[in-house]
Amino acid sequence: MISFQNTTVKYPLGNKALDRVSFDIEENEFVYLVGPSGAGKTTILKLILNEIQPTEGSITIDDMEISSKKFKSVTKLRQNIGIVFQDFKILPEANVFENVAVSMRIKGFSSATINSEVNNALKTTGIQDKKEMFPAQLSAGEIQRVAIARAIVGNRPIILADEPTGNLDPKTTWEIMRIFKFLEKTKTIIFATHNTDIVNSMKRRVIVVQNGRIKKDMKKGGYEL
Amino acid sequence: MNEVITSLRRTPYQTFAALSVLFFTLLLSGLLFISLSFLRGLLDYVETRPRVIIYFQVKSTEENIEAVSDLLKSTNKTTKITYISQEKAFEIYKEFTENDPLLLEMTSPEILPPSLEIDVKKPEYLPELAELVSDQPGVDEVQYQQDIIENLLKLTSNVRSVTFVFFSYLMFMSMIVLTTTLSFKIALKREEISILRLLGATNSYIRKPFIYESVFLGVVATALANVFLIGTLLSTSTFFDQYFTGIPELGASIFGITLTVWPFNIGFSIITFAVTAIFSLFITLGSSLIATNRYLK
Repeated sequence: MISFQNTTVKYPLGNKALDRVSFDIEENEFVYLVGPSGAGKTTILKLILNEIQPTEGSITIDDMEISSKKFKSVTKLRQNIGIVFQDFKILPEANVFENVAVSMRIKGFSSATINSEVNNALKTTGIQDKKEMFPAQLSAGEIQRVAIARAIVGNRPIILADEPTGNLDPKTTWEIMRIFKFLEKTKTIIFATHNTDIVNSMKRRVIVVQNGRIKKDMKKGGYEL
Repeated sequence: MNEVITSLRRTPYQTFAALSVLFFTLLLSGLLFISLSFLRGLLDYVETRPRVIIYFQVKSTEENIEAVSDLLKSTNKTTKITYISQEKAFEIYKEFTENDPLLLEMTSPEILPPSLEIDVKKPEYLPELAELVSDQPGVDEVQYQQDIIENLLKLTSNVRSVTFVFFSYLMFMSMIVLTTTLSFKIALKREEISILRLLGATNSYIRKPFIYESVFLGVVATALANVFLIGTLLSTSTFFDQYFTGIPELGASIFGITLTVWPFNIGFSIITFAVTAIFSLFITLGSSLIATNRYLK
């Protein structure tokens, strides 16, 4: 479970990126994080990844208090999180297979396990025939599938998706969403987006963030600001 | 391995600079090791064979020589006394000048002094025995190895100091060049490293490719330096054969192991390779750790 309790992030000049934000996300829950640009969605994801620390309040993930100054297991925490970003964050010099396999190599899986799990993930995301290709040879949609495949291998129970369809055309967007739908109930997915259609189509929990605060938290909501 | 080679090929100038400086440093360390081993071997050789040579005046009588020989025997500090007559001295001279008939023509047995070669039980008896016989009738000159040992010790110490300074400078330069090259590569891969960190890569996982790359350069430089060293030793072996005439073998104690350093042999080559490989590992591991630490901090 992911739990934010009165979490505040203040910039050095005093303005707040997040202001006393509290919510709980259960295991294998699918949550949309919506809100305008600069609302604080990415800040929430960065806090979960322990890229930044809150100035006040606490964040716990599976009973690990990650907001504590004493928290040292950042790599262990991140090894449990798959990431899918708008700008893909793919290794440009590695081919598709290696880009996905790196997620498992980091965790020390054996070559045989890596081979079978990566091939399964490539099949799930529909790019098994591109595994020898390099990112420069792929379309944006295909690259995003690589990122999703990388996020789902290696036993990572949480997936953070930050505007994963932001750079994609509508057709590819729906193909990507089909993959996320397929992954539902097997992973905790936090999906930050401004895409109204996506949010409205799935009717899942929606947390609306505005000006660094939680404006609404709806169990089966749609996109509303 | 493929990743390492690809990465090196992407930055050919930096790779060449790093490889060159590593090669020269390791070559110098190998040359230093070989020359110090040879000097140590020579020193050991001379020290374990304490000997006094007494040259008599050309016109001295056999009685004079016999009297000196008896005097030395009476001290009980000698192991062997060999008389080299003028004829024997001429024979030896002939052997040395067989390639130079002109020198031989100008010499005859009468102008060469007779001598006594005295093997002594301990090197510390040398000055005492030399002094004992120096003012005996017929004695012209007394030579013993004290001077040679002192000169060799002085030479060894000078070679050690000069090469140490030079080697330290080169080693420092190698580390600077390698650290700079790696820092440049790390800067190029900044984005990649940040992705790996987001995925939970440990510092050692991120360091690994840079360490492999630098160690690979070290291995290539070690191999090249050793090929060059072995080639040099083999091509100069004729010169050393002449230089060490009369010395069948030079042995030196290196890291507690007594090893034959001359004639050139595989055992000594392996030790030389090991020494350069250790230096290479020290330089490459050191610089890759410095470069990656700077970034990861």
